[in-house]
Amino acid sequence: MKAQVRKKRPFQRRKVCIFCADSGMKIDYKDLKTLTHFVTERGKILPRRISGTCARHQRDLTTAIKRARNIALMPFSVVG
Amino acid sequence: MRPYETIFITHPELSEEDLAELQEKIHAIMSAWKGELVKLEDWGIKKLGYDIRKNSRGRFFLLAYVAATALVKELERNLRLNDRILKFQTVRASLDLSPGVAKTSRDAAPSEKVTKASDRPPSLPEQILEEAEKTG
Repeated sequence: MKAQVRKKRPFQRRKVCIFCADSGMKIDYKDLKTLTHFVTERGKILPRRISGTCARHQRDLTTAIKRARNIALMPFSVVG
Repeated sequence: MRPYETIFITHPELSEEDLAELQEKIHAIMSAWKGELVKLEDWGIKKLGYDIRKNSRGRFFLLAYVAATALVKELERNLRLNDRILKFQTVRASLDLSPGVAKTSRDAAPSEKVTKASDRPPSLPEQILEEAEKTG
């Protein structure tokens, strides 16, 4: 039963980390275009299980997003 | 000596005089504390992720430089004193962002820094010339 319910997940798990797949991609706290792909509409950081990033890149991403938030490039939370 | 990046947000209605004064101050600190200015970018007025002192917009500047910790301290002290500055953040930049790294660096990862220095030999003299023009 449980397996059937699980089938209808809204997000498809990405198989590989896109930063590992594309070595030209750098994680930078100033690069909002990339960072916005990894936060929800409310401004929360997407978990690894959804974005599919590897542990190292998730860690770098988290730091980058937090830096961007600190300097007001990104919101801490979006209300509404 | 290490590469740093400082982003600072000023009030959106920053007057020309204020801007000039700010730039002058930055150059003064750079030369007084022997830092090497890599770039000063004006990103223009952007919407803030959240309000800062009741401002929903701010003018962003990115300052990249190679300097010792004392300079960073001094720079941040000055930014804090300036009431036109809404917020700032200094981050240690990655090595590849720092062209023409100073040769006195003692914490250098040798291979990388050496290649960088040889890649861009003219940057330091240029900087000095520019500064001389400005001050003289």
